[in-house]
Amino acid sequence: MSTHPGIDPRAPRFGAGITAVLLLVTIGLWLGGATVAATILLAAIVVLFSIGAFAGVQRHPYGRIYKSLVRPRLEPPTDLEDPTPPTFAQGVGFVITAIGLVLSLVGVPLALVVASSAAFIAAFLNSVFGYCLGCQIYLLLARAGIVGRTGATAA
Amino acid sequence: MNPLVYLVALVALATVLGLVWQRTQGRVTRATGEAAEFASSGSLVTLLQFSTEVCAPCTATHGILDTIARETDAVAHVDLDITHRPDLAARFNVLQTPTTLILDRDGAIVARIGGAARRDVVRTHLDRILETAA
Repeated sequence: MSTHPGIDPRAPRFGAGITAVLLLVTIGLWLGGATVAATILLAAIVVLFSIGAFAGVQRHPYGRIYKSLVRPRLEPPTDLEDPTPPTFAQGVGFVITAIGLVLSLVGVPLALVVASSAAFIAAFLNSVFGYCLGCQIYLLLARAGIVGRTGATAA
Repeated sequence: MNPLVYLVALVALATVLGLVWQRTQGRVTRATGEAAEFASSGSLVTLLQFSTEVCAPCTATHGILDTIARETDAVAHVDLDITHRPDLAARFNVLQTPTTLILDRDGAIVARIGGAARRDVVRTHLDRILETAA
């Protein structure tokens, strides 16, 4: 699969937990009337997702927090994981929240709440249950011809 | 709407979804059909695993099934990356990876495991199949 060095599988779940809490705060701010604060916070979340998606999940700030603060308090990981699946999940999070942010900025009502809620569910499932978004969605995208290495299709 | 009510409902919904999803993972269900060209000749049972390239549990399941196949003479393990085989995904109705089909010696599909396989569950099921096959 990937030639990247493995990552501690608990790191992306830790990051997803922080993301889930931030998304809940975003929704709470918006529904509570603090729409500007909610928009700024969602914009920050979009930026964080973009770091994970485009620079790779290993370079995500939450990964650094995990490494410096959390991992030293835990047992070493039993096995390491390919960083590609969590990087893909970051990309999905980026797309959902970016669409919500843009639609909200152009005035679509509740776009921010809907997108943040969808992203929250994915982040929560990932963090709490170890749900693997890539395992469900990647195959559907591959079947639709949207993702996958070029050249090897229709083998 | 009271924001707090919405937030609590959202967390509750996500929890229910998670519990339902967790229940389906690794469960062995009866299945029918044939996959004769993938049955390993000389084995009573073939574990036919479907994987994709972006899938951490696929790697874990590969390890578990591979160990079982090496421990048991009559069992073979085949792992197919179907990222570029939408025809296979459609034929076997694979909606998530890993998905594992259990084939008998003639390549008939006898069971299906959706999601990450669990060693003890697979073991128990295989023992039952091998008992009847013997």
